[in-house]
Amino acid sequence: MFYLLAIFLPLIGAAMTGAFGNRLGNRPAQMMTVIPMLLSAALGCLILAQVGFAHREIETVAINWFSSGALEVSWAFRFDTLTAVMVFVVTMVSAMVHVYSIGYMAHDPHVPRFMAYLSLFTFFMLMLVSADNFVQMFLGWEGVGLSSYLLIGFWYKRETANAAAIKAFVVNRVGDFGFLLGILGVFLVFGSLDFDQVFAGSPDIAGTNFNFLGFETDILTTICILLFIGAMGKSAQIGLHTWLPDAMEGPTPVSALIHAATMVTAGVFMVARLSPMFEYAPIALAVVTVVGATTAFFAATIGLTQTDIKRVIAYSTCSQLGYMFFAIGVGAYPAAIFHLMTHAFFKALLFLGAGSVIHGMSDEQDMRKMGGLWSKMRVTAVLMWVGSLALAGMPFFAGYYSKDIILESAFAAHTGLGTYAFWVGIAAAAMTAFYSWRLIFMTFNGPTRADAHTYDHAHESPPVMIAPLIVLALGAIFSGWLGFEYFVGHEMEHFWNGSILMLGEPDIIEAAHHVPEWVPLLPALVGVAGIALAFLFYKMMPTLPARVAGGFGFVYRFVFNKWFFDELYEKIFIRPAFRLGHGLWKGGDGQVIDGVGPDGVAAGVKNLAAGAVRLQTGYLYHYAFAMLIGVVGLVGWYLITVFGGGAG
Amino acid sequence: MGVLTDISVIWPELFLAIWIMVMLMIGVFRGDGFGAPIAWFAVIGFVMTGFFVLTGPIDLAFNGQYISDKFAVFSKMLILLGAGLTVMLSFGYNKREGTGAFEMPILLMFAVLGMLIMVSANNFITLYLGLELQSLSLYIVAAFRRDNLRSSEAGLKYFVLGALSSGLLLYGISLVYGYSGSVDFGVLETVIADNLSGAAAPPLGLVVGLVFVLSGLAFKISAVPFHMWTPDVYEGAPTPVTSFFAVAPKIAAIALIARVLIGPFGDLVAQWQQIVTVLAIASMALGAFAAIGQRNIKRLMAYSSISHMGYALVGLAAGSQKGIQAVLVYMAIYLFMNVGTFACILAMRRQGRMVEDIDDLAGLSKTNLGMASALAIFMFSMAGIPPLAGFFGKLFVFLAAVESGLVVLAVIGLLASVVAAFYYLRVIKLMFFDEPVESFDRPAGSEITSIMTLSAIVTLFFLVGLGPVYSSAGAAARSLFGL
Amino acid sequence: MTVAALFFYLFAALLIGAGFMVISARNPVHAVLFLILAFFNAAGLFVLVGAEFLAMILVIVYVGAVAVLFLFVVMMLDVDFAEMREGFLQYLPIGSMIGIILFIELVMVLGTWVIAPDAAQIVAAPIPDASVTNTEALGRLIYTEYVYFFQAAGVILLVAMIGAIVLTLHHKPGVKRQNIAEQVARRPETAIEIRDVKPGQGV
Repeated sequence: MFYLLAIFLPLIGAAMTGAFGNRLGNRPAQMMTVIPMLLSAALGCLILAQVGFAHREIETVAINWFSSGALEVSWAFRFDTLTAVMVFVVTMVSAMVHVYSIGYMAHDPHVPRFMAYLSLFTFFMLMLVSADNFVQMFLGWEGVGLSSYLLIGFWYKRETANAAAIKAFVVNRVGDFGFLLGILGVFLVFGSLDFDQVFAGSPDIAGTNFNFLGFETDILTTICILLFIGAMGKSAQIGLHTWLPDAMEGPTPVSALIHAATMVTAGVFMVARLSPMFEYAPIALAVVTVVGATTAFFAATIGLTQTDIKRVIAYSTCSQLGYMFFAIGVGAYPAAIFHLMTHAFFKALLFLGAGSVIHGMSDEQDMRKMGGLWSKMRVTAVLMWVGSLALAGMPFFAGYYSKDIILESAFAAHTGLGTYAFWVGIAAAAMTAFYSWRLIFMTFNGPTRADAHTYDHAHESPPVMIAPLIVLALGAIFSGWLGFEYFVGHEMEHFWNGSILMLGEPDIIEAAHHVPEWVPLLPALVGVAGIALAFLFYKMMPTLPARVAGGFGFVYRFVFNKWFFDELYEKIFIRPAFRLGHGLWKGGDGQVIDGVGPDGVAAGVKNLAAGAVRLQTGYLYHYAFAMLIGVVGLVGWYLITVFGGGAG
Repeated sequence: MGVLTDISVIWPELFLAIWIMVMLMIGVFRGDGFGAPIAWFAVIGFVMTGFFVLTGPIDLAFNGQYISDKFAVFSKMLILLGAGLTVMLSFGYNKREGTGAFEMPILLMFAVLGMLIMVSANNFITLYLGLELQSLSLYIVAAFRRDNLRSSEAGLKYFVLGALSSGLLLYGISLVYGYSGSVDFGVLETVIADNLSGAAAPPLGLVVGLVFVLSGLAFKISAVPFHMWTPDVYEGAPTPVTSFFAVAPKIAAIALIARVLIGPFGDLVAQWQQIVTVLAIASMALGAFAAIGQRNIKRLMAYSSISHMGYALVGLAAGSQKGIQAVLVYMAIYLFMNVGTFACILAMRRQGRMVEDIDDLAGLSKTNLGMASALAIFMFSMAGIPPLAGFFGKLFVFLAAVESGLVVLAVIGLLASVVAAFYYLRVIKLMFFDEPVESFDRPAGSEITSIMTLSAIVTLFFLVGLGPVYSSAGAAARSLFGL
Repeated sequence: MTVAALFFYLFAALLIGAGFMVISARNPVHAVLFLILAFFNAAGLFVLVGAEFLAMILVIVYVGAVAVLFLFVVMMLDVDFAEMREGFLQYLPIGSMIGIILFIELVMVLGTWVIAPDAAQIVAAPIPDASVTNTEALGRLIYTEYVYFFQAAGVILLVAMIGAIVLTLHHKPGVKRQNIAEQVARRPETAIEIRDVKPGQGV
């Protein structure tokens, strides 16, 4: 029962805070959310221990939710290793973020609302990862989307925050639409939305075709691609990634929790959860690989040039999610989930560290106006170092283990796409190292570029913010080392206990352990090279970047402007959509629907009413005449219908 | 069958007639100042008559000229209740406006006597006599404020058009008699059943006679196109008289129509169903549309009652036992909604003078929340918003129509009620969201306040008492079908 | 029979002609006179079918009372009938159209007239044989079988009377009226007061 408690504690916290928070004040509101969250995190650890290591697997059907015809949906929870890992990550990071928020949001006038949203988000996320059927998953899916919208737009008085919130929501809707279509397809094909039944049916369905507009199309592939579109939206993969950088308008703890550690990984989780379907749809997996690898590379290039500290990290998130996807694409689901976990730790660490910097610098986010903060906030700097090392994949930090196994898997796949993913991944790894250290150098080293006032007031964050950072840093250092054997090492079979299906023979992970010597070394080497380059650019020769940018003007602008995705979308989708919307509003809704509908009917009613009033002339003989006409009409009606009809 | 049995059957009417004579004598000899006590005595008379109606035997009297069945009992109770309440509403008004002559309650009692005779009619002559007794009394009370031009005009219009409708009715009766050789309902029923059951087309003369009879009766319930008198008479007549008009005569007339159609002409249902459908649609539609353009609340109520009669006719058009049951329930609900609304209208006094414009209600919620809430309840109920009484009335009527296959009629009814909701809601909007004008005189009078409250409670919690009303209406409907 | 038929057509034609003149005569006094003519012809028709009581009643009540009353009213009220007729032409087309339709309908009704086969048997009160007079036959019915109707009709007449009084009788305060009873009951003691007026003092 405490499994469910872990999920519902955040909801209880959110509900209580939402209902009473404003009346009770900030402190009780914080307590009401943080304490349930910490409890939930403790339970999360316990769940991981029981399910992952002691192999207790639980499925709980709570109650029948709704049944409509053949569709029957229950409230059902599935706790297998995959879920346990996710629950562990989510509750852990969420608890840290909750604690951190106490300090970070101390000066905000809407603390209770913020805390309630955070807990609500956590609940939905847990709902998503523990779902045992598509509908419940979709509920969590939409729930996290909603919470994300609320949190991005938390500072609703900022126009940019509202715009970003709407953008995030709309772009996610595109993905969700794919997801929804996928779910409908699943129901159509399998006649059920329960994971067990769908998974059991997948092998039989694999290879069957259906006719779509005259083309023979593979059913399972179609469904999987539709579902993957949903994952792309949530996980900000290329094409649907544009919302993620903008989402940085939200408060930094939000960015750490939602847009780095948890929600954006929902897509990865979802595909891993549905591995029994994707495994039978190789074409869909190929698509996943290409999209993932391309995103990893493309986001990394953009990260090179950004100057907003949070945006750099945001693009890095995007890129790391790409890694996870192409790991899935080549069939290395455990590697993807492993990276998901380690990434959650070090990325949350980086974000919260960045938040600490921003907090210390009076809400300054532009790295060009930082520098020299090393002396002001040493703890934060050290923690950021840890995070960046982990991100860059330096040996013995968490990122090293997970990223390596991903790249090895890609190499070991020995397919064209796998090789593509491998080399693109290597390039991205180099860039990752470069931009993350660029961030470190620009922020903490060198002479300061901040104005004197801000710099003087720059200060270390309070302990309540530092403590969570330390916990996360421990995770960033040790989680890879500790988890390696279980997630992807020799204990793997045991650990996953069938929660992920891998068809490849021989096992791809197994193959990944037997790649040539240079393969595991290469990522670390390019990482070091990247760091060295960053050191050269930003520490040794600060004028170099400008010169390079000038020299490769076109490339720089292309990358700096994020490959012109936003502009492209603006031209292709947004403007025409606006024009269409405007047209439909003015012409369609205003003139046709309102004109014929409400307005037209109202006007018609008014005319009729006026006519009816005019009938009432007040003259007696008119009245009498009306009666006579009535009688004559009724009799005439008879003669025509009854008798006329009968005779004729 | 001795005379005494006959007398025991018609005792309620006989008692009321004697009561009226006694009151008339008292009034004549005590003079004009005795109006108010006689109004009280009228109410007491209604109560006692109601008692006799309830306890009286269920039988035919005078060779089948008179019938007392459960249907008659149910209708009579509604009539007496409506009449009693509206007479009570008139106390304060009569005192102030100088319409307190003792003839007023006497005439209202005569009208009620006519109604009782109507609903117990089992013969066209009884029907006609009851109808005329009722109508003649109403013509006079409509014109009661003879110094007021509008009142006189209302009385005259009502009289002339009523005479025309009586002419139509008599012509129709003569055609029916010409075919069958009888005016007795029972005999007519057997004649029609013997000769026409299964016939493709009944004789034209009989059906045209039926059309004329229906037209004459439709005038009494102000069904379109025989409704023209209604707004003018409602507006012109003294307000308590209008409230009387709106309730008791409508119940009596609809009961009468039900009896005529289901009884003697029950086998011609295919024929009259069409007429009733046309009348229902026309009434609902015109009532809904014309009311939108009204500024005077009494005229508004006139159109409102026209459309309500349309809904009642929908149940009648169903031609089934369920339909009649629905009509009776509808009329019971209609009674309370109307009495309550008119209590509110009678409370619309400003510096001693009656005001009748809808705009005078503006901002009432700020000056008199109780009255505004009561009126809002009545308006919501008339608009058919659940869970108020009016909703159930419409629900049963439409259900009955749908069960009889008149889906189109039910749909039109629904659409009309949507349109009608507009003007009911407008009144509520005026009361609750507009800036207040000068407040009304207070207190409104204890009878008015208590009747307003009573009606509001009944309307609001009708659901509680729905069961008994529904089942007794069902018993009444069954008795009409001879079951 | 031929003589009776001849008279029937005579009366009927005159009745319809008179009825038409009632509504078309320009002078309202003429209209009322035509109405009286119509009553007479109707009475003639009643006599033809052997309902002499009804015929006499028609003449006495309608001609003798109602129509004469009409005549008085029409002559007393100075109604400008020319003005009332102004709208006549305006409504003529639609009015005549409705009239024609109604006429056609009624012709169709009469053209297809059917009587129920057993109508003759079920007539409630069959015509008695010639030994009983009209008056007696009606009287027997009205006061026995139809007493309920008779009483109801009586109540209606009472209402009509009350209505006429209520709507027309004005009790104006301050108007001196003759009260016979009071006059008769007058005694010298109540009517005369004897005052002893002393010279030079006044009353």
